[in-house]
Amino acid sequence: MLEQIKTIRHAPDEEYYVSGHRTCAGCGPALVYRLVAKAAGPNTIFLGPTGCMYVANTSYGCGPFAVPWLHTQITNAGGVASGVEAAYKAMMRKGKYTGERPHVIVMAGDGGATDIGLQALSGMLYRGHDVLFICYDNESYANTGIQTSPTTPWGAVTTFTPSGPAIPEGKRLWPKDNAQLVAHGHPELKYLATASLAFPLDLMNKVRKGLNAEGPAYLHIQAPCPKGWQFDSDKTIDMAKLAVDTGMFQLYEYENGKYTITYTPRKRKPVEEYIKLQGRFSHLKPEHIEKIQQFVDAKLKAIEVEVTAVSEAAPTD
Amino acid sequence: MGKKRLITGVVATAEAVRLADVDVISSFPIRPYTGIMSELARMIADGELDAEFVHAEGEHAQLSVVYGASAAGARTFTGSSGVGVTYAMEVYSPISGERLPVQMAIADRTLDPPGDFGSEHTDAEVCRDQGWIQGWAATPQEALDLTLLYYRIGEDPRVLLPQYACQDGYFVSHIAGEVDVPDEAQVKEFLPPYKNKHQLNIYEPQIIGAQIEPDMGPPLQYQRALAMRNAKEVIKEAYDDYNRIFGRNYSPFVEEYMTEDADVVIFLQGAHSQTAIDVARRLRNHGEKVGVVRLRTFRPFPTEEVRDALSKFKVIGVVDNSANFGIAGGGGVLLTEARTALYGEGDKVKTVGFVAGLGGEAITRDEFYRMFAKLKDIAKTGKVEQNAYWVPFEL
Repeated sequence: MLEQIKTIRHAPDEEYYVSGHRTCAGCGPALVYRLVAKAAGPNTIFLGPTGCMYVANTSYGCGPFAVPWLHTQITNAGGVASGVEAAYKAMMRKGKYTGERPHVIVMAGDGGATDIGLQALSGMLYRGHDVLFICYDNESYANTGIQTSPTTPWGAVTTFTPSGPAIPEGKRLWPKDNAQLVAHGHPELKYLATASLAFPLDLMNKVRKGLNAEGPAYLHIQAPCPKGWQFDSDKTIDMAKLAVDTGMFQLYEYENGKYTITYTPRKRKPVEEYIKLQGRFSHLKPEHIEKIQQFVDAKLKAIEVEVTAVSEAAPTD
Repeated sequence: MGKKRLITGVVATAEAVRLADVDVISSFPIRPYTGIMSELARMIADGELDAEFVHAEGEHAQLSVVYGASAAGARTFTGSSGVGVTYAMEVYSPISGERLPVQMAIADRTLDPPGDFGSEHTDAEVCRDQGWIQGWAATPQEALDLTLLYYRIGEDPRVLLPQYACQDGYFVSHIAGEVDVPDEAQVKEFLPPYKNKHQLNIYEPQIIGAQIEPDMGPPLQYQRALAMRNAKEVIKEAYDDYNRIFGRNYSPFVEEYMTEDADVVIFLQGAHSQTAIDVARRLRNHGEKVGVVRLRTFRPFPTEEVRDALSKFKVIGVVDNSANFGIAGGGGVLLTEARTALYGEGDKVKTVGFVAGLGGEAITRDEFYRMFAKLKDIAKTGKVEQNAYWVPFEL
């Protein structure tokens, strides 16, 4: 069992995601990877489907992983993880492997988790494989040069959803909520949570809960992308914090059929404060932003976060 | 010593998987290979086999599961037929590229449309250049033997390549034949445990499948090509040991039937060879100088052995049990590859193609008689008027 970490100062010093990669400055997914590896420790096998965390991490001869890592196709991380887990189960039962049973963790981007890799994820959860499947969500196909994915927000510009006179708002679809999608149709699922880069202690403890669960677990982690979202590379953590404080991203756990909201902003900020800092939304008009605000309000109401959005400038008695 | 049983190809294959002490199996239903998985499921339920049986959500997932399991150090088995084989296409090259010796049984089947269940080599031949060892069993006995042989060949450190152990759908998979099922001690002597030094192991962390720069890819592909080349020597050794331990009499690459003093021969692979041999025997009874050459190993293609075998004859009819639209020569893959093997032999060896048995139709004796008659015509006139004939539409 991996113990819960009491404070950030109690986090282990050891790193298992080390130097030797070439991600962009301020890369959210790379920072997520570091925290996940730190929380998981040495007894870990990582599976890396195609995506930023494959291409930018494993340039030949300089991979940053101090634990075993295997590439998978962008399509099939859930299937490969199922195979690794089943292999260790069989080999241990048959006496062909006598070491410690490794934790198996998938680190998939939003494409590999919510889009082309969704079928493999669902199969793995349905069958009950003891794997922690993590989606580091940077809200686009970023490695290929920022194309829309199912988690790209409404109104965001990508190279496949440009804004122009005929389509002023850019992307016209509301994002897929993968955590909600997988939570309710997989009876073998033992633990599910969302996490944010701005809450590292919470993130690491959720990783540990997912690994301690005897069966499949799913973690959806928002991981801001300076290149794709178009903000300065020293603002990654601020952006992650604002996403949670505006309700654009919500933090919760789902265990034994019950939801627990793990963080509620005392004063919820309007989404505009988040949107105005990102180049991908710079074309949006006030009525577009209002639409996003309504979407977020409705969503929070659905998960019972009754916090009204209050502008910084407004009185806050 | 082994036990004689009257069983189908799918049951014979499952018996071999049990004997190989496979650790992880991934399944998805599609006819006709499904029977292998039903039999394995029964063995696990009855306590005859200790393996993880993963119900994959499709063929692509089946191959993904064995990719992961093999990388973790397990001996693995999967299989499919028809469009199931092609649905998994993305994963074949990563499996051979990471040098994971997984085994896949293919009980072959036509591709869609129109949802024909029948046997055809098309599905398996589509995958022929993905870096997998490949060949066809022509009887249930050969289906069992091929499974054991391929684990030994594929897992050899000089090879480390996955294998497609193919059998003709229905003709082999679902028609019972007498099968000598070996005992476990014999199999232990033949097949050592699977050990791959490139393994997902927390005590020796390795990065497997790293992304590389364009100039770093070709050396890896060259290594895969060399592994295919090395496989020929390993295949010979494995067949020698197999014949000795199990009392068989297989030739590893090419088998000849009634070819001494033959003028014309049929060249083919798989179960239809049995009918061809039967027809050749009948023609021999009437004094005709005909024979059959059967290809046993399709990948690596035994170019020299095929050349040596075929260059002795005047005319060779190459039977392709697959649909290859627009292919050079208008026949099938075997025709183009036999001609490549014969390159340099000049005009003294004439070749002609027959596309036959599509959609699972049996290639009848009558059709083989017509093919042999065409070969004798060519031998007499010295003229090949048409590169290839679609049977029965054109012959």
